[in-house]
Parts: sequence; C-alpha cells; structure tokens
Amino acid sequence: MKKKKCIAMLLAGGQGSRLGSLTSSIAKPAVSFGGKYRIIDFSLSNCVNSGIDTVGILVQYKPLILNKYVGTGEAWDLAVSDGGVHILPPYAGETGGEWYEGTADAIYHNIDFIDLYNPDNVLVLSGDHIYKTDYNKMLKEHESNNADLTVSVIEVPIEEASRFGIMTADEEGNIVKFTEKPKNPDSNLASMGIYIFSWASLRKALLEDHVDPQSEHDFGKNIIPKMLAEKKKLIVYRFEGYWRDVGTVDSYYDSQMDLMDNMDSINVFTSDEKVFSNSNIYPPQYIGPDANIGKSLISNGCTVYGAVNHSILGSGVVIGEGSVVEDSIILPNAIIGRDCRIKKAIVNEGMTVEDRTEIGDPDGKIVVYGTSKLSI
Amino acid sequence: MKTIGLISANYKGEGFGELTENRTLASLPYGGRYRLIDFALSNMVNSGITTVGIISPYNSGSLIDHIGIGNPWSLGRKKGGLFLMPGSLYGVQTAESRFLIRDMLKNIKFFERDDADYVIISSSSDVYNIDFMPLIKHHSESGRDLTMVYKKMPRGEDLSGKGYCLDIDESGKVTGMKTESSGWSCYFMDCCIVNREFMLEFLDWFEALEYMDMFDVVSENLDKIDIGAFEFRGCFGKISSTADLLRVNKGMTDYGIRNEVFCNPERPIFTKTQDEAPVLYTPDSDVRNSTISAGCRIEGKVEDSTIFRSVDIGKGSIVRNSVIMMHCDIGEDVVLDNVICDKYVTINDGVKLYGSGSEPIIIGKGMKI
Repeated sequence: MKKKKCIAMLLAGGQGSRLGSLTSSIAKPAVSFGGKYRIIDFSLSNCVNSGIDTVGILVQYKPLILNKYVGTGEAWDLAVSDGGVHILPPYAGETGGEWYEGTADAIYHNIDFIDLYNPDNVLVLSGDHIYKTDYNKMLKEHESNNADLTVSVIEVPIEEASRFGIMTADEEGNIVKFTEKPKNPDSNLASMGIYIFSWASLRKALLEDHVDPQSEHDFGKNIIPKMLAEKKKLIVYRFEGYWRDVGTVDSYYDSQMDLMDNMDSINVFTSDEKVFSNSNIYPPQYIGPDANIGKSLISNGCTVYGAVNHSILGSGVVIGEGSVVEDSIILPNAIIGRDCRIKKAIVNEGMTVEDRTEIGDPDGKIVVYGTSKLSI
Repeated sequence: MKTIGLISANYKGEGFGELTENRTLASLPYGGRYRLIDFALSNMVNSGITTVGIISPYNSGSLIDHIGIGNPWSLGRKKGGLFLMPGSLYGVQTAESRFLIRDMLKNIKFFERDDADYVIISSSSDVYNIDFMPLIKHHSESGRDLTMVYKKMPRGEDLSGKGYCLDIDESGKVTGMKTESSGWSCYFMDCCIVNREFMLEFLDWFEALEYMDMFDVVSENLDKIDIGAFEFRGCFGKISSTADLLRVNKGMTDYGIRNEVFCNPERPIFTKTQDEAPVLYTPDSDVRNSTISAGCRIEGKVEDSTIFRSVDIGKGSIVRNSVIMMHCDIGEDVVLDNVICDKYVTINDGVKLYGSGSEPIIIGKGMKI
C-alpha cells in the first residue's frame, strides 16, 4: 500500500448531551444542520477538499444513523480503493473489549488501523465543528517546522478566554503553556480541538499514556501537557475565518442562522470548497399558491402552504396551510399541520406537529420540540 | 419470473428546437432536477429489475454524463446492472422511429445472454410512475407473446398522432393499432412486456425489415402475434413538444400528480445528485405555486413556474408560466412569461419576454439576452 502523507481521525463518539433531545437517538455528528446537511459533512468535506482521502471515524454513542449516513463515503468522493472512509467502533480482542474512555483512548485503540496506512502525520478532528478550511496550510506549517504537534487555534476576546483551552505561544509560534479554562488568561489563542501529530510522536505518547493510571486519556487534559512537559516541538497554527463548535442548543441555532444572515460565515452556495452531503433524492420543493416566504433557507422535498419567515426548513418538511413559522429551524421530514404558530423553535427530525399547535417560549428562549426519531 | 428491462433513448426528438440540438430527448431536463430518462429507469429499478439496457443515440454525450454507471439507480452492480448499447442513426422509413429493429439486432446479445423470462421495453421520455410487478403478473398469467401498456385518454386529451391507439377486444386482445382515434382512446404508452424467447424469434423473422420501428412492424402483423393489453390508471405525462414541456412541468404543482409521481415513498424517482445548498429566499421574494430546486437564490417573483437548481432570480423580476433550467442568471426587473430557458442562460436587467402557452419562447443553452 502506498504510504500516506496524512490521514484523518474524526472523533464522533461523544454523546453531545448538551444538545438535549436533538441527540437522544443519534450521535451529534449525524444531527441535521442547515436544512440538508448533517454536522459531519463539514469536516468530511474539508478532508476531501484538502486532498485527504483516508478518514477513520471513531464512533461509540448511538451510531446507527451516522453509520448509514456515511455509508461507503461515496457522497464525499471517499469511496476510493486505497483509503476511503472507515467507521471505527470499539472492538474486542483476545482479552475482551473496552469502550473508548476518552479522545486519546479512542485513537489508542486504533493504533493498528493507523499503522495499516503508516502515515507521516495524523490529523485529529472533531465531528461537531462547522467551518471550511484547507488542512494543507496547517500541514505545511507542521512539516516546515518539523513539529511533533500542531494545534489549530483561533483568537477569542480575552474576556471570554477563560471558557476555552488556551495556548500561550512565543513569537515563533512555539507553544510554551497550555491551560484548560484559565481564570486569568495570558493569551487569547483558543485551541479548536484540531491537531496534526507526526504519527511517530503520537504513537509513542499514546502507548505511554495508556499505562498511566492517573490519565483520563484525553488530548487536552493529558496528551498535550505530557508532550509539553517532554519538551516536544509543539506549535500553534492560527486559523482565520468562521469556526463554530455546535456543542449547545444556542450555538447550534446561531450557527445555522449564520448560513443565511451572515454571508461572511460559511458560504454553502459557492461551488469551490463545496460542502458535500449524502442526502436522499427528494423532488424539488413546492411552494403553494397562498404560501408566504420571507428570508429563509428551504431544502428539496419541502411542501409549503403556510408562511415561513427567517427560518430554515430541512429536506421533506411540510408546512400546512395557515401555519406561521418564524425564526425557527424545522429539521428534515417534520410535518407541521395547519394553523400552527411556531416561533424561535427547533422542531426535531420526523416530528408531526398537530394542527393549531403553538410552539414558542414567552421569554424568547429557543425551544426544542419533540425527540429525534430513527429514520432513514 | 425474471424480467430485464430495455429502454430506447434513440428518439429523433423533433419539435424541441434548440433544446434537443445537442442532447437526446431522454436527457432533456425536466421537473426542476430530473432528466426525462429518470422516470423509465426508476420505474425499472423500483419494480425489482436489476438488468437494464439503454439504446443510446449518436448524440449521447449528455445522456452518458447523466447516467454514468447507473449508481443513482443502484445499477452499478456486478450481476446485471446497466448496459449502454449504441443505437444506429434514425430510421428512414418512419420519421418518428423509437424502437428500431436494427438497434435491437445490433445488440441482440443483450437478449441472448440473459436467462430472463421477460423483457420490459420502455420509452425514455415519458413522465409517469408505475409498478411493473402487476404488469408482469398479468402478462405471465395471460400466456400471450406480448402485452402493451396503455392509458385511457378522454376526448380532448387525444394523443393520437403522437403514437398508436389500440383496439382491444373483449378478451383483452389487441386487434388493431391506429394512429388516430375518436372519443376515448387507448393510447399505447410506448411500453410493453414481451417474452424474451419470443423477442428473439421476432427479430429473426423480421431481420429484413431492420430499418423499421418494432411497433410499426407489430401493427402490421397483429394476426401473427398474440398481443394483450394492460391499462395504466396513473398520471401520464407525454412530452412531444415545447408546449408539452411547459404543461407537464406545470403539472408538478398539482397536488395529486406531485404525490403520485414524485413523492411516492415506495417508488422514489432517482436522479444524479449535485449537492446544492438549500434555496435562499430574500425578504423581497414572492413565490406562488411553483417548483423550486436546490441552490437557487430567489429575490424576485415566481408564479406557476419550474425553477431548476442554482438559478438566480434578481430583485423586481417576474417569472411566470416558465421553465428556467439550471445555472440561469435572471437579472433585475426582468419579465419572463411562457419562456423556456435552457441551461446557463443570462437574462440582463430589464429584459421582458412574452411567449404563449402553445408557443413558448425558447432561449438556447448559454445565450445572453
């Protein structure tokens, strides 16, 4: 097999419990986003658009829809013979099996997988980030600096820095200190949870970390501090552009609204650096004779008879006659009956909302309606 | 009862002006995101047929580009799958040749090497959603050589002149094939099921008439062939002119047609996907009774129209009773009424074009107006 310069390992196993009922039956990376996408589309598309053709997806929490969605990877041009996409769940060995106990532990359990491809570098990604980037720029910095680890960082307002893992770097970009959620931050460079490791260094660190009884086997808490303590070459890569972690309902809502409100965020309309997705083939949308549509994003397969304003409709959504949907996100295949009032809400996938239902919070908080259902 | 499918895309496709100058009728864009052949192909695979041959004409570039190895229809398979077979130049005898005997003779291996009991032969340019299983059952129980699928057309929607109407006796046997009819007509939908072994015999008998259309030959030999008929009761969209194209596109906005043909969860219409973003509507947009595809940006007014993917419609513009194909750029304050724009058309600000339902204005691919 041809030696790979860089392969990607995508962490997609976490529960995403802060998203509440949105992830009650599906893993966070498989949650619908922006009408026709799922969250994982952004990272997978970044890989393909950066020429990375081998991606391991580490799954653990309720992966059924995610597995089905990723499929052979064909939708992202990742159905290639020498590489491609691999779903990597925990598995048993001679002495039994274990769950993935942390981000680093998940990679540790797949050392054999990475060795199959024997890459120079391993790109570690989160499956719940919304951004567009060319990883080659970061890889170039990593290689030209001969680094053991390059951490992608983004500048955040200093007053918010205490919410992030903060990297302190010298003038050359060498990381001199890493503090998780510092009380008195001395830097505003937040780690994005995107790492490029040289495989030899990571492999060694994972093997040592595995036998450390004190370790929680987490990249941020254990691996980076350990490599820092061992005086390895750790550098920052300054990311510029739009990047969101959609870990909470608020950030999940806001970043989707950015698709139509904030054209400087992610342009999903451009044909270069296209965001690919594996959506079912729906017919085009139908807008009825009395429909009234204000600023909105509406996906294929929708049927709209009512009014939709400043909202996002996922694939196959139906909005009944007389219903008014405002400032809301209706996830795929939800059916909204007649004369409903929906304001600032997220309606879960496949939900049926009965006629004359009113959804909305009097204080203007975002309401998540219903529970996500398994459907393909 | 193993069945294979054969679709003829070797149609002359006249009456579409520039729209079929450089493409086959089978690959004519339709319905916002489809090509006409999607219906024939989806009907086959939704009925469990996994071996499908397509007779392609000489100008098959756009057709091959669309179909590829048949992945969207799950026909990229090891056993069976998709067979693209070259057709000949059009027939000389009949201007409207569709199922040329010489095209089948040329590709006779398709019939010979399979062990299927039946072959479903279908047109490539009609819009309907059918389950072939009841047809296969009906035909197999009848014991006939061939069974034709027809649609009963009321007076006024007479499609004769565009093909054959069938005379059917009480036993269900086809006794006549005419090119005109009066009152209710049983319009032959260019779709039939035939015993594979019989098909080989038929091609052998009529080898000398290889320049003719298979059904022209059948119509003159009804005494020699035992032919049954099967009624299709669903919606049937026949597209044989630009006016038809406009009308059948508008048909998609009909609730019944949309649900039966396009939104049937048991039998979805598959097509090549392009992964466009959802449609972006701006506060100025005003859209009524229209079909809109992914990737569009709508700032103007759209009524009773079909808009394909990645079309921009500028502020103050009105698009009415029209079909706008993919990647068109409609400027500001434009009026398009009964217009069909092919792909990549640019309409500059302020341009106003008025066609009629019977004679829509056609704007050729890539034109700037």
